Amino acid sequence: MKQVLFSIICFCAIYIEVYAQKDTITNNQLNEVVVQANKRLVRNSTALKVTTINDSIIVNNLESFTSLLRYNTSLYLREHGVGGTSSARFRGTSSSNTAVLWNGININSINNGQTGFNSLTVGLYDELNVRSGGGSIEFGSGAIGGTIHLNDILKFNEEKKFKNQLVGTFGSFATINSLYKLKYQSKTYAANFGISYNGSDNDYPFLNSEFRNANGAYDNYTINFSNAYKFSDALVLEFFTTYYLGDRLLSGELPNPTAANDKYQDINQRNLLSLQFKKNNLRLTTRLAYLFQKYKYFDDKELDAFNFGSSDRIFADVTIDYTFPSLQATLSSNTRFESVYGRTDQISERNRQEFSQSLIFNHNLKRSFSYDIKVRKDYNSDFDVPLSYAFGFKLKPISHFFLRANTSRNYRVPTYNDLFWPGQGNLDLVPETSLQGEVGIGYQSKKVNLDIAYFTINTEDNIVWMPGGDPNRPGVWTPVNIEETLNQGIEASFNFSHSFLDQFATNFSMNYTYVDATNKNTEKSLPFVPKHIANTNVSVSYKRLSIFYQNLFNGKIYTTESNHEDFVVDNFNVSNIGLRYNFIKTEKQNMSIGGKVNNLFNTDYVIIQNRPMPGINYNLNINYTF
Amino acid sequence: MKKINFLKVLLFSGLLFFISCSDDNEKQLPRGDYENGILVSGEGSGAGTGSVSFISNDLSNTESKIYNKVNGTDLGTFLQSLAFDDDKAYIIVDNQNTITVVDRFTFEKLDEINEGLENPRYMTVIGSKGYITNWGKGSFGDNIDDDFIAVVDLNTFKLITKIDVAVGPERITNNGDKIFVSHKGAYGTNNKISVIDADNNNVEKVIDVKFKPDEMDFTANGNLIVLSGGNESWTGNETVGSIATINTTTLEVSSEVVFPDGVHPELMVIEGNTICYSIGNDVYMMSVTGNTLPQAKVLTAVDGFLYGIELNNGKLYALDASFTDISKMNVFNLSTITKETTLDAPLGASKIYFN
Repeated sequence: MKQVLFSIICFCAIYIEVYAQKDTITNNQLNEVVVQANKRLVRNSTALKVTTINDSIIVNNLESFTSLLRYNTSLYLREHGVGGTSSARFRGTSSSNTAVLWNGININSINNGQTGFNSLTVGLYDELNVRSGGGSIEFGSGAIGGTIHLNDILKFNEEKKFKNQLVGTFGSFATINSLYKLKYQSKTYAANFGISYNGSDNDYPFLNSEFRNANGAYDNYTINFSNAYKFSDALVLEFFTTYYLGDRLLSGELPNPTAANDKYQDINQRNLLSLQFKKNNLRLTTRLAYLFQKYKYFDDKELDAFNFGSSDRIFADVTIDYTFPSLQATLSSNTRFESVYGRTDQISERNRQEFSQSLIFNHNLKRSFSYDIKVRKDYNSDFDVPLSYAFGFKLKPISHFFLRANTSRNYRVPTYNDLFWPGQGNLDLVPETSLQGEVGIGYQSKKVNLDIAYFTINTEDNIVWMPGGDPNRPGVWTPVNIEETLNQGIEASFNFSHSFLDQFATNFSMNYTYVDATNKNTEKSLPFVPKHIANTNVSVSYKRLSIFYQNLFNGKIYTTESNHEDFVVDNFNVSNIGLRYNFIKTEKQNMSIGGKVNNLFNTDYVIIQNRPMPGINYNLNINYTF
Repeated sequence: MKKINFLKVLLFSGLLFFISCSDDNEKQLPRGDYENGILVSGEGSGAGTGSVSFISNDLSNTESKIYNKVNGTDLGTFLQSLAFDDDKAYIIVDNQNTITVVDRFTFEKLDEINEGLENPRYMTVIGSKGYITNWGKGSFGDNIDDDFIAVVDLNTFKLITKIDVAVGPERITNNGDKIFVSHKGAYGTNNKISVIDADNNNVEKVIDVKFKPDEMDFTANGNLIVLSGGNESWTGNETVGSIATINTTTLEVSSEVVFPDGVHPELMVIEGNTICYSIGNDVYMMSVTGNTLPQAKVLTAVDGFLYGIELNNGKLYALDASFTDISKMNVFNLSTITKETTLDAPLGASKIYFN
């Protein structure tokens, strides 16, 4: 069965870890960045690590969402050649155990349970949060390894304010990334508008080969619009909408990449209406959303024939937050209903309905101790979903130091493909469930952020497609709840920033993850999980000039269950370097021009066997705000 | 200690060299490392490339990924099948639209055929020409009728012509100049056997059989036996499977044994007068002249997923294919119906060839 299934950087390398109870962090380095992390996310992450990548980093790393995450977070990104199918994994879990949220709403596909990281343009979002650890109580199915949050931020301002931004990146292999963003703020109305285009011939030469990356070209367009109206301090209405259109060819692999002629088109349309009412200690939020996604897969780009899948989702929820000021505590209730209509060329339309109720209690017992308790029950028309729960606390015994610990039970529901694929689907599937825990210590000051955590994730009933999975259908590939896995490891991040001699500023950041992931049935290490991943960013700025260096080390992976040495992807080490100069720097205007050299040492490496990644390549970019 | 052993080996192999030199006139030199053994091909999967393993005839040595070891590159996915002539092997990789030509005994790459192929499946060799079944364009759910047989000059490895055939050509075999093609149906299902005259490349006749004809082989007296699996229930049009005997002179189905409803045989191989076929992981045997199906299975060949069988000298070779790991090959002694051994086989193991 043929299933269908860049590079980057951090200019300023400002990479900020946002911890609970600290909604706003001001970075003193490049004096332009004020990060407003999603308040609810932060409040509900007492004992979890949340990494925030703000818009100045996003905008400087437009080439791809995949590369942005690869060089700036602890995630492992698997990409079928630059621009191809791409998935993200936290802590050695599977790609369907990573939930992606758009303005708080889970957007993983109903058909395969994943989000394609090359089917999303992040350039237009104001903020990206990456939270490691379980989060099914707040974010539902798939929030096992961790969650990735794409947010539009709307702010009101006493004075009317317009801000325009134009970004253009021009790189090797005819790669263009461009965007325009307009922000308007006033006392009662705020709006963001953004439009972007990305495209590339993407026909980079394979190192040590006569071939180029054949059939790899892509184009995509995104329009985002969000606005908010403040009726009064007590009542705010928000509306978010986004439209994405992507058209890409799927590149071939060695030994004959010219054999590839597949094409993939996808459309995503998402709308969200939110009404917030606040009175005294009570806050009531109701949300209504409609999400549509559709893909078409063309086995041959020259032909009209295609395979497709699409879904319509209607989502409504009510959240009530009640704050007990004397206790410094909040109790939140979320009641959620969702109805999904999904279909593919192989699966006639099916409707799935989900209802859930969750309760979350946060309490700052003292300044030095806080905890949260969360519980959620789901009702799903397709199967039983077990109760999810979480408990976490954070202790700050002495200033700057902290200890955090959490445990949670999370789930991932079977997809439409798992359940309904003709002749192969399995209606008896149950959700995958995980029981996980984490203990971390850290240090946090203006200059230094350090977090080192030990984690353990035990996942049961993992859904695996195998021939003969159903004894009544010998030889037929069917999905079964068969695997149990145990992932244990260390996730560490460190950030240091320092200004000196007035005009100098430096920043150093590093992420390192060690994972020991075992298939409990076979006692072998899980395939496709690198034991070690480390990335490092170093930047130095002097007056208007800044320079950065970036490195990624990705450990060796085994691709077979028995960890056979015949089938491995070797480790690799890739470095990028960049330079930026601010030509205009006034209160109203800011214009900088930068250049980057990706894969500085022209390293020949692959992420997936027989799909070489690009050698040394370049880009020039301009970022103008006015 | 190690050093001494190494010296001994050197000395010993030097002796062998002299001995074989002196024997030169009487005995042929080995034509390569991979002569006198079994080649097992694996399709490969998302876990890794398609590959070929070599197993010595006495089953004592197994060497994996021999093409990669000799040539330093992978074959790619999905390795569908191998074909042979006297001194060459043709390795057909469908997703790559490529047939890699190697010396069949050394596995050194000689050339490749990558012109005019589109989802190539199987090949048969007649003289200096190769005939290759191709599915053409399309994917699951859109079975486009552009399927063809590519005719390739095996001296230049260039395409000579394409023969237009019905949808879904799968296996291809020949009896002299008469070529037989089973149309299993590619991305859908079909129920035809095409007969092509190699002298003029014309489709001489199309014979109807039960749906999903796949494996074919000739009997000692020149009849063609065809195994049809029948459409599975999920196709929405379930049909029965059969073993049909085609008279290669009259080009008619001379006899047919039909399987019960809901039973879909998958693999078949013929040795001497024995037809050996599989249903699920069970293997059954009957005579080529038999007109009823055997009641009982001979044995259960594998625990996992039976994906390839072969018979040779009273032994049954059965592939237990894995697409997430290296596969296994079970070898049974058929006179005692006992398992002799289990060996490693390539990722997605599907075909066995005696070299």
